[in-house]
Amino acid sequence: MTNELLMEARNVSVTFGSGATTVKAVQNCSLILHTSEPIGIVGESGSGKSTLARVLAGLQAPIAGEVLFRGKSVFKGNKPYQDGIRNQVQMVFQDPYGSLNPQLTGLSAVAEAVSVHKKVGKQESIAIALKLLQRMGIGKLDALKKPRQLSGGQRQRVSVARALSASPSVLLADEPTSSIDQSAQAQLLKLFLGLISDGLSIVLISHDLGVIRYLTKRVYVMKDGVFVESGETEKLFNDPQEEYTKLLLASIPGELGKAARQKLGR
Amino acid sequence: MKQSGTLLDLVDVEIGIPYPRRDTLVIVRKANFSVNYGEMVGVVGESGSGKTMVCRAIIGTLKRRGAEVIGGQISFEEQDLSKISESTWESLRGKVIGYVPQSALAGPNPVLTIEKQLAEALENTDGKGSIKSRSKELLDLVKIRRIDTVLRQYPYQLSGGMRQRVMIACALATNPKLLIADEPTTGLDVTVQSQIMDLLKEIRKNLGTAIILISHDLALVDDVCDKVVVMHAGATVEVGDTGSMAKPKHPYTIALNSSRIDIAKPGGELITIAGNPPSVGEWMAGCRFALRCTYKEPDCTVGEHPPLFGERGGHQTACLHADKI
Amino acid sequence: MSNEKRRKKRKDRGEGAFGIYAGFGMLAAMLLAGLLIPIVSKYDPSGLGPDQVVPPSSKYFFGTDMLGRDVFTRVFDAVFVDLGTALVGVLIPLSVGTVVGTLLGISRNRRVNSFVGSVIDGINAFPFLIFVIALVAFLGAGLGSIIIALSLVNWARYARIARTRAVVVNQQGYVEAARTLGYSPTRILFRHIIPNVSSETRAYALSDFIIVIIAVAALSFLGLGVSPPQAEWGSMIKDGANIITLAWWTAIFPGLALCWAGIAVALIAEGSSRRLREGG
Repeated sequence: MTNELLMEARNVSVTFGSGATTVKAVQNCSLILHTSEPIGIVGESGSGKSTLARVLAGLQAPIAGEVLFRGKSVFKGNKPYQDGIRNQVQMVFQDPYGSLNPQLTGLSAVAEAVSVHKKVGKQESIAIALKLLQRMGIGKLDALKKPRQLSGGQRQRVSVARALSASPSVLLADEPTSSIDQSAQAQLLKLFLGLISDGLSIVLISHDLGVIRYLTKRVYVMKDGVFVESGETEKLFNDPQEEYTKLLLASIPGELGKAARQKLGR
Repeated sequence: MKQSGTLLDLVDVEIGIPYPRRDTLVIVRKANFSVNYGEMVGVVGESGSGKTMVCRAIIGTLKRRGAEVIGGQISFEEQDLSKISESTWESLRGKVIGYVPQSALAGPNPVLTIEKQLAEALENTDGKGSIKSRSKELLDLVKIRRIDTVLRQYPYQLSGGMRQRVMIACALATNPKLLIADEPTTGLDVTVQSQIMDLLKEIRKNLGTAIILISHDLALVDDVCDKVVVMHAGATVEVGDTGSMAKPKHPYTIALNSSRIDIAKPGGELITIAGNPPSVGEWMAGCRFALRCTYKEPDCTVGEHPPLFGERGGHQTACLHADKI
Repeated sequence: MSNEKRRKKRKDRGEGAFGIYAGFGMLAAMLLAGLLIPIVSKYDPSGLGPDQVVPPSSKYFFGTDMLGRDVFTRVFDAVFVDLGTALVGVLIPLSVGTVVGTLLGISRNRRVNSFVGSVIDGINAFPFLIFVIALVAFLGAGLGSIIIALSLVNWARYARIARTRAVVVNQQGYVEAARTLGYSPTRILFRHIIPNVSSETRAYALSDFIIVIIAVAALSFLGLGVSPPQAEWGSMIKDGANIITLAWWTAIFPGLALCWAGIAVALIAEGSSRRLREGG
């Protein structure tokens, strides 16, 4: 797999509101994503990481800066991902409960995505959808269930299947594990690992460095709209530079946090 | 004065939902564990394992969900919580036994200021100083800064982490002997979670309050608690202090352990548990983990669910073949 | 049947099933009677008869009215008129209101939003029945006018519900996901937004149906509905009200028919809302 530059954000800024209630959600952030190099964006709530993810997904236009996909600008005027490249960058959202249309079964939701992107008929899209869901560990019986009958982890996996129907090169995952059980988390992460080895480029957004460490090669640490530190994930763990990064390391639940706290003398 | 010994003891507790013309639906069968004075015990399990129902039994709020204790005992100091009347509960609930709810679901009353909530919690309690000064002390105890500002604010003006601290403060108003924290940090950032865990540890140390921490996160519980209780499909399958739990003796705990990302190698093998736990009403005979267990033997799927083997107070496991693991 | 099987059967049938089945059963019975009885009956519902103001007997089940017409036949002859008019009087506002409200809810055009929004609020400010009566009086009596008046007044109530709901639905994850997946705006509107908005407006429509059935009868009672000699519950009640002390059957039976229809729909509405709540 060649290491091409897939996506790039240059000096992206996003501001909400006006006058007294202006919020500078993202300030001058730049990042790069190569193929076969999963990256992470880590930060607490309010850091702007979700907003940045939405900019990368084309759901939010920046007021400054640009986003490039394979060298071409993503936003034309305010319209994102024109000229048939919309399918290239897909997203899995944080809330498994709101991400799926409550009226559609998992199968219908994925089949719809398949039929729109692969331009095939109903029968074929159902067949393809079933296979995709199977790959995500959702069997035929569960595929026919509506979202309210599925667990949080299962809903997330249906969302991933739906996103994959578009055959994207990039998958943005915004806190995919935050609302689900530890065991479901592990299943989802294992799934992502499999997708990475199949060639999918993943951008993982999370507040938990433990999850970032497991999946990514490089990470950007975000606080109050700015990147305070970035670098190879392994290096960040062994030799954090910023205070904030050290705080995040010390907060990881379990052994990782314990080890970090010891090393940092907290 | 710090007391010692067993504060709470659950023995073969069974909880069910009775229906008028059909069999009672059993949702917890054979819950067993104990909590000593000043001890922090973590109860771990997937959704549907019964851990929340057990906690409701200890705080006496089963009735409003149509459930009741149908077997076993819950000994708390001199009383059997499974058999006391509602009026006795009023003297215990919120007073001797405190409760902190899941952060995402409940929280402080949205129409009352923090000051009013604390005043309400401090009603009918004795202590030195006015209600206001004691409220301030409580907020200080949970490490809230800018106490005067916070007192005047409404819950919507506070962050999730601060709201949880307020809930903990309210629960501590009566200086309870036992505090039940039901997934208190679910949905909160890890940094906030870490602070709240530190807070709970301090409370335990300084006030001698025993704490039951309910969670689905084994890594968190391992880090913070003295003792771990693992529940699966309505039964307690393993109990032990955190030290001995490093070498778990039940296949389910082993599986949970191998799916922990804090001890997994980056990009390495994560052994996940296939399938889902059996839902209530669909429990099979014998051990309810058997179908997903890698150490399954023929005698695992017959008869009653295995009891907890081992000495009470030591490392117990509900696996018939623990020695082979 | 063992307890396990009984419990599973109840679970499969779903919550609220009793209400829904009972309600539909009652409606179906009434509709069937409304279809068959006028055909099968030996009495002409609109023709004058020889026996005037006869109490209920084996010859005339519900008795006869002042003009000698068999009340039984008339009550059922009126079924399709009353229920049909009410149905159309609900379906039109439901469709128009849902679409307009949804479009308003998702539109970002401030001026249009503000203008149409004011129109909706304005219409909703008027008490329903009074506004309808005024409109029908203005348009001239008749079922057509009733339907037009109902549509003109009621669409705004549905639109308000639809708009509020559409704003919420538009912010949901699955709508954002649909956009990220590159679905066309038409697809997003018709496959994702409207179905989730109409679930609310349809629920409202069920209870609205009861009100509209009564409104239709009330308008006829006031003389603004069907012209004689067509049978219709409201006008039958009006005629019967004059002689109610002498011949209770002329007003009571059409009244009972109204109740039957109302209860049937209420049962369906209650059962459906229960099912929605339980998520079954």
